[in-house]
Amino acid sequence: MPDGIVRLTFDRPDSAANVFDRATIGELELRLEAIAADKDVRGVLFDSAKPSIFIAGADLEELSALTDPDDIRAAVERGQRVFDRIAKLPCTTVAAIHGACLGGGFELALACDARIASDDRATKIGLPEVMLGILPAWGGSTRLPRLIGMPQALAAILQGRQHPAKLAKIRGLVDRVVPKEHLHRLAIDLLRTGPPKRKSIRLAHLKPIAKFIAKKATDQVLATTGGHYPAPLRVIEVVRDGLAVSEAESQKLEADAAVDLIRTDVSKQLIRVFFLQERAKKCSVLPQGAPTPEPERVDRMVVLGAGVMGAGIAQWSSARGIEVILRDLDPERVRAGMQTIASTYKSAVKKRKLDRVAAQAGLDRVFPSAIDVPFGDVDLVVEAAVEKMDVKRTIFADLDEAARPAAILATNTSSLSVSDVAEGLDHPQRVVGIHFFNPVARMQLVEVVRGKATSNEVLERAVRYVHQIGKLPVVVADAPGFVVNRILMPYLFEAVHLFENGAAIESVDRAMTQFGMPMGPLRLLDEVGLDVAAHVGDHVGPIFGDRLPTCPSMQAMVDAGWLGRKAGRGFYVYSKKKTKKDPKPNGALDRHVTSKSAVTLPVDELARRMTLLMINEAARCLEENVVEDPRDVDFAMIMGTGFAPFRGGPLRHADAIGVATAVEALRRLSNEVSARFEPCDTLVRMAKESRSFYPSDS
Amino acid sequence: MERMVIIDGVRTPFSKMGTDLAALGAEELGRIAVSTLLLRTGIDRELIDEVILGCVSQPADAANVARVVALRSGIPQHVPAITVHRNCASSFESITQADEKIRAGRGSIFVVGGTESMTQVPLYFSHRAASKFAKLGSAKTLGARLRAITSFRPSDFKPKVGLMIGLTDPVSGLNMGQTAELVARESGITREMQDAFAARSHQRALDARERLDKEICPVYAPPDYRKVVTEDNGPRADSTPERLARLRPVFEKGSGTVTAGNSSQITDGAVALLVMSESRANELGFEPLGALTGYAYAALDPARMGLGPVHAIARAEEQTKLGVGDADLVEINEAFAGQVLACLDKARSDDYAREVLGRDRAVGEIPEEILNVNGGAIALGHPVGATGSRLALTSLLELRRRDAKRALVTLCVGGGQGGALWLERL
Repeated sequence: MPDGIVRLTFDRPDSAANVFDRATIGELELRLEAIAADKDVRGVLFDSAKPSIFIAGADLEELSALTDPDDIRAAVERGQRVFDRIAKLPCTTVAAIHGACLGGGFELALACDARIASDDRATKIGLPEVMLGILPAWGGSTRLPRLIGMPQALAAILQGRQHPAKLAKIRGLVDRVVPKEHLHRLAIDLLRTGPPKRKSIRLAHLKPIAKFIAKKATDQVLATTGGHYPAPLRVIEVVRDGLAVSEAESQKLEADAAVDLIRTDVSKQLIRVFFLQERAKKCSVLPQGAPTPEPERVDRMVVLGAGVMGAGIAQWSSARGIEVILRDLDPERVRAGMQTIASTYKSAVKKRKLDRVAAQAGLDRVFPSAIDVPFGDVDLVVEAAVEKMDVKRTIFADLDEAARPAAILATNTSSLSVSDVAEGLDHPQRVVGIHFFNPVARMQLVEVVRGKATSNEVLERAVRYVHQIGKLPVVVADAPGFVVNRILMPYLFEAVHLFENGAAIESVDRAMTQFGMPMGPLRLLDEVGLDVAAHVGDHVGPIFGDRLPTCPSMQAMVDAGWLGRKAGRGFYVYSKKKTKKDPKPNGALDRHVTSKSAVTLPVDELARRMTLLMINEAARCLEENVVEDPRDVDFAMIMGTGFAPFRGGPLRHADAIGVATAVEALRRLSNEVSARFEPCDTLVRMAKESRSFYPSDS
Repeated sequence: MERMVIIDGVRTPFSKMGTDLAALGAEELGRIAVSTLLLRTGIDRELIDEVILGCVSQPADAANVARVVALRSGIPQHVPAITVHRNCASSFESITQADEKIRAGRGSIFVVGGTESMTQVPLYFSHRAASKFAKLGSAKTLGARLRAITSFRPSDFKPKVGLMIGLTDPVSGLNMGQTAELVARESGITREMQDAFAARSHQRALDARERLDKEICPVYAPPDYRKVVTEDNGPRADSTPERLARLRPVFEKGSGTVTAGNSSQITDGAVALLVMSESRANELGFEPLGALTGYAYAALDPARMGLGPVHAIARAEEQTKLGVGDADLVEINEAFAGQVLACLDKARSDDYAREVLGRDRAVGEIPEEILNVNGGAIALGHPVGATGSRLALTSLLELRRRDAKRALVTLCVGGGQGGALWLERL
C-alpha cells in the first residue's frame, strides 16, 4: 500500500466465514507486533476478503469447549490484549466493514479509531453475545459505552440487534456508510485525515446518572426475562461500574463476568440452541453428495386460502423474492388477506426491517385472485384452507391436475394427516406438509411433514424452500399434531383442567412464566383462539385417548363467543385500547370451576404437572418415531413455542431433573391424580437403565 | 402479412373521479390491470416483446408510466416499455402500434392498453410563480431571500387545474365541451335529443352489468385494502331524461345544450390487453377473442374534433373496403351525447361527404340498435388514456356473446382527430 498504509485483510482459508479462533488471534497479534515496530506505518486498514462477512464473531465451538475458569480467563484476556494493541497503535486505524460484523468482529472495529461500513444488505453490525448468555468481553462492553453513551450502548448490547448499515450509522456504531465500491477508497481517505471529531458524552456518565440508567435498564430486563437470564443483568453492572473506572479496569470487569457467564448452564443451553439453529439451516434429507432436485429454488408459488396463515405465508414468501398467487374463493377474504399482508409490510418498514422500496416490491409480488387462474409455471402450492378433510381432498384433486408435474403440493394443515390428504391422487409422492406457526412473520420454525407417499426429492425441495425463505425446518413424520402441537396439547388441556379444579387463572400462567415460558398456557390459548384449540382438540384428541382430560369449560367458552383475544374475552378480558397493562382474568368464568382439588396446589406443583406432561409426550414422539433425534424435539419446542430456551427443551429439561426423578413424579401423579400421568414406556425403560436423552457432557 | 389477434383483456372497474379508486395513481391502476391480465392468461412473461400503454396525464413520479407498470407487474427487466399519447385515442394507439410492429417483424407478443387517474391530475403553479420559487431556492443571503419572498403576489398561489388545461384545445382555444356545443349546434341536435341519448346510455350500461362484469377484475384497493372495488360506479338508475333536463349547461351559459349529465364522466381506470401475431397465438395454443382487421386515424378542424369518428370511418373504408353496413356492432365513444349524435348526422349526409370528406356518397346510416349497445362513456366514464382499449375489449366480448362477426370501434380525439378500428371474430 502507498504512503505507509498497511492493509490487514481477514480471509480464513477453506471457509465462507471469518471467525476469531485461536489461530486467527495469534496471527493478528504477530502482525500487530510487526506494525508497532515499524516506524514508517502511518495507518492500518482492516477489511475482509469474504463476499458477505467481515468477521462473524468468536469461534463458538472453541469457546463452548472451554470449561476451566483459568482457560476461559486466558482466552478472554488474550483477545483483550490483542485489541488493546490496535487501540494503542500510534497511527490511525480504520475498519472497513462489508458484510456481517458481529461480536468479536465488531469489538475489533471498536478498537479502531474509525469505522466505515458498506450500505450493502449483507452488512450487519452488532454485539449479539447476550443472546448466547454471555457478554462482549473483548473490550466491547468497555468501548461501546464510551463511544456512543451508556443508554445507546446498553440498548445495543441488551437487544443483541444486528444493525443494518444505515441504522448503525444513526446509532453511532459506525462513522460513515458508503457504497461498497467506494469503501476502500474512503477508508484510506479516513486514514489520511484521521478519525472524525466526536462529541463528549462524559456528563451522562456521572455516577448518579449512570446508576439511574442502570436501574431503569435492570427493571426492563427483569420485566421481559423474569430474571431467568443472568447475562443482561451482568452486562448492565459491567457497563455501569466500568464507566466509573479506567478502561483497563473496566476490561477486567468484563473478563470476570465472562468467566462467570460462560460457565452458566443458561449460556451452555443458549449456545446449544444456536448450534441447533445452524443445524436446521443445513438440514437435508438426501444423502451427502446426492444431486439437488430440480427446480432448486421456488420462483413462483400459490397460496390457497387468504386467512391469517395463508396471508402470513404469502407475505413472508413474497418478501423473500418469491412471486405468490394468493387464491381464495371469496373476494372479501382475499381483500382481508391483502390487508393483513400490507399491514405486515408496513410494520416491517416501521421497524426498519425493510425499506419502503423493498416493501413495495414485495407487495407487488403478491397476485390476489378470487377466480381460477392458470398455475402453469408455479413451483410450489401451499394450501392453507379450512381444516376439513373433504375440502382439502377436493382441493388437492384439483391441484393434481392444475399444477404442472414439477410443482410440489404442500398442505399447511396442523391437525390433519398429510397422507390422507394425498390419498387417491395420481401423484401422491409430490404431496408434503409444510406447517407454519402463527404469526408467520415471527415464528421461525416450520415443520416439514413426510407423508406416507412423499418422495425424498419432494421432501428435500420443501426443506430447501423453508431455507430459501430464511425459516428453520424440522422434518417430522405424519403423526397427529406432528411435534409441536402434539406436545402442547396435553400441556394446554392440563392448564384448563387445573383451572376447572380451582387453580387461579393467574397462578396457572405464572407457574409457567416462572418456569421460563414466554407466556402462560391459558394466555396462549387466548392468543391461539379457543375455537381453534377446540377444533384441533377434536381432530388430534382421539389419539391421546385417556391422556387428555375432558375440559367442558372450553366448549362452553366457544359457545359463549369467548374465543380469546380476537373476541376481546377468553380466559382474560382484553381492553380495546392499546395499553401496556396486563389483561385481567375473566371473572365470569368462575362458574366453570367445578372442583376445589387444585385450589391449594402451590405454583411449583402446577408447573411440575404441566411440564411433566410435556416431557412425557416429548418422549412419546421419539418412541413413535415422529422424529428420531431428541434434538429435533427440543429444537421444535424452543422455536415453535418459545419453550424456555435456557432449559434447552423438554427432553434436555428431563435430563436436567433426571429421567428417573421424572418417572417417579409421573407415577406418583398417576396414582394420586389420574392415569393420564402414567409415564410412557421409553421413559420407564430409560429410568430403569439410568439413561439420559443426551450424553452427559452436552 | 401477419395479422394481429387479441388474446384476452381485463380492466379495472371505472370509478368516478374522487371515489373508489381515487387513492391509486395511474401506475398503480395500470399495474393492477396488467398483472391481472398476466395472471389470468398465464402467458410466459419472458415471451413478451414490449409493453405499450396509453396515458394522457402521466404521473410526475412515474414518468414513462408503461415502464413502471411493466416492472411492477413482474414483467422481466429486459422487456422494454413505451407510453403513447394521442389524447383520447392513446390506448387505440397502443393497439395499432403493436399491430404495426408485428407487421414490421419487430416482435410478436405485446401487452397493450391504457391507464389514467383523472383524480390525480395535478394542480400546477404558473410559470411566473415557479420562477419565483426557483429564485427563492437559490437565494443565498438573508436580503436576497427577503426580496424573493416579497416578490410573490397572492395570484401566484392560485394553482391551475391540470384537468381543465388538458381538456382545452390550445389551438382553437375551445374547451372540449365548447367543441361539442359547436358540432351539436351545426347538426341541429337539441338538448332533449342529447338527454334522451344520455339516459339510454345509463340504461344500457345498467342492463349490461353482468356482461361488463366479464371484463372487470376486482381491485383490492391499496394502500390500506379496506375495500374491494368490483363494479363501475358511473351508471345511475335515476339518470332519466326528466332528471337530466334539470341540469344547467356547463360550457355555454344560457343558450347551451351540453351539461354534465349528457357528457362523459371524469373517471379513473385502466385496461390491459394481450395481443400477438396470429401464428404465435396458434403456436402457443391460445384461443383469441378476435383480430384487428384494419384501422385508420384521420384529422380535422380542432374546433369540430367531435366529428373525428366520421372522418376515421371514411379513411378506414378506403383501406379495408369495409363500410358501416358491414358492422354488426358500432362504438362511437360518448365524449358528449351531442357529439355522437352529430356524428350520426354527418355520417348519413351526402353533402358532408362531398364537401368535407371528399367522397361522393355518405359514410352511411349507423343504426342506433347496434350503436354502443352496452352503454358508453356518459354512463361508464372516460378515463382518457384507457378508453380506447375498453371500447375494443367490450366490443370483442359482445361479438363473442352475439356470435357476430365485425365491430367498428371509433372515438373522437381532442385536438381534431378521429380513430377507427375494425375488429372481427375468428
